[in-house]
Amino acid sequence: MTAVANLVGVSKNYGRATVVRPITVDLGPGIVGLLGPNGAGKTTLLRLLSTSLPPTTGRITIAGFDVAASHANRVAARRRLGYCPQEVTFPRGMTAFGFVEYIAVLKEWKDADARHREVRRVLDLVDLVDRSAMKVSKLSGGQRRRLAIAQALLGAPDLLILDEPTTGLDPEQRASLRGLLSGLAGTVLISTHQTEDISALCDRVLVIDAGVIHFDGTVPELLATAAGRVHLGPTAAIGAVQTWKTGTGLVRSVGGQPAPDSSVVDPSVEDAYLLLRSGERTRQGVIR
Amino acid sequence: MSWHVDDRVWEAYADGRLDPAAEASVETHVTGCADCRTAARDYAPAAAATVWTGVRETITAPAPSALFRLLRRLGIRGDDLVLLSAGDSLLMPWAAAVGSAIACACLVGLAGLDAVNRDAVFLAMAPLAPVLAVVVSFDALDPIREVTAPTPYSKLRLALLRAAASLVVALPTTAAIGPVIPGMDDFAFVWLAPSLGLTLGALVLLTWWEARVTGALVASLWVGAVVVVRTTTTVDVLTVPAAQAAFVAAGFVLAAALFLRTSTLRIQGGEQ
Repeated sequence: MTAVANLVGVSKNYGRATVVRPITVDLGPGIVGLLGPNGAGKTTLLRLLSTSLPPTTGRITIAGFDVAASHANRVAARRRLGYCPQEVTFPRGMTAFGFVEYIAVLKEWKDADARHREVRRVLDLVDLVDRSAMKVSKLSGGQRRRLAIAQALLGAPDLLILDEPTTGLDPEQRASLRGLLSGLAGTVLISTHQTEDISALCDRVLVIDAGVIHFDGTVPELLATAAGRVHLGPTAAIGAVQTWKTGTGLVRSVGGQPAPDSSVVDPSVEDAYLLLRSGERTRQGVIR
Repeated sequence: MSWHVDDRVWEAYADGRLDPAAEASVETHVTGCADCRTAARDYAPAAAATVWTGVRETITAPAPSALFRLLRRLGIRGDDLVLLSAGDSLLMPWAAAVGSAIACACLVGLAGLDAVNRDAVFLAMAPLAPVLAVVVSFDALDPIREVTAPTPYSKLRLALLRAAASLVVALPTTAAIGPVIPGMDDFAFVWLAPSLGLTLGALVLLTWWEARVTGALVASLWVGAVVVVRTTTTVDVLTVPAAQAAFVAAGFVLAAALFLRTSTLRIQGGEQ
């Protein structure tokens, strides 16, 4: 597997606060999910990879270009990536087409005809081509989110970085976005709180907390860390990380000592994530 | 109906190869024949797709405005125009430039100040008009700074392009203030050198801070400096050749600083 992006000992401090502790990870083709609580360092890590932020220590390489080595390297790396931040506030007066075309020019689409075709292509991918002439201020929240994603798709980048791409999308739009992302070549790195997105979409999962990657593996490997530790019974497990009464009246317990008459059930990505977060970790999988 | 439009005729009709009389015959027949209307749907898509693609391409690429077309005729590249005319990013700084020049002229010309204080007010305000235009230009596109930061386009070129587009209106309008106010004479153009330094200083600061913060800071510092000078002496010390040369020299230093700031690895506007 050829890595599209490599991070070697990459860390980030803001003043005295360490947001990302030294991380070494390779990102190859496929969809990689970055899962973690608020303040875990997900957005900072994505900004580092997008070349928006310089790392405090370490080296970032994208498509073979060390982004800190020279300005030319950084420009070469930027030609191969697409980035959609968590929140995009759009300028006054812009149309959907105008916004994407503005970014297309900044991505060096100089020929007007080719640029217009590419803008229409990405607007079509996010199902907004019929809204092209509309002012962005007239679009709904979900449409604006899709517009922000559209600009990241310009030029079919080798590395696509999406920060919380499904936030604000309804279930149908979320499914549509999953379909779009699953059909892309190259490497897609998505940060999300939605464990359903991880299980439905990702070939690989990184769980980050307090600036440290606690898990790096496939979805089945993540699920394996919780195998035999999720129960359904008449009462809650003692010392469980989370419990809730299900629609059948039985109590689902994640972790802890199961109550008598409880049965083991298949864990979900959310269960495994909760167990990882709780610190009640097993030696299974590739928890680090 | 005694006849129906056959496949060969439909294909010719869809391709536009029928003569006008045959075309009219087909259309007249179809209005009265339900079977042929149904059959028409099998042939329409191929022709309609071409037409529809053209329609979509026309309506999805908004027609260029009159200003856009004028600037294009003046030789400005199409991709530069896209950057300059995005949203309100061209008209707002021009409006700010004209507005601030008029405000400056009114204050200096109509406030009834004596010559010394009139010169001080003029020197405090006039150099800031171009700065205001540049700051407003950046403010219009500040919201998408995080989207534009990781693009390969030269940030220096982008900054200079936006500044130049603002200054092309700001400089002549500000320059027009002096001649319309009686008694300004040579003093009417002493604002140019400080304005060069302040504008380049603002462009450098814009690589750290948001446009509004930068604008407020530059304006406060300059007005503060003029007030301090005026309380101790006249503002003539800022207009002597040595002072003017110092402003120009500062401009060169700030231009070098701008080059360094825009070519290093950091997000414009600071780390958010």
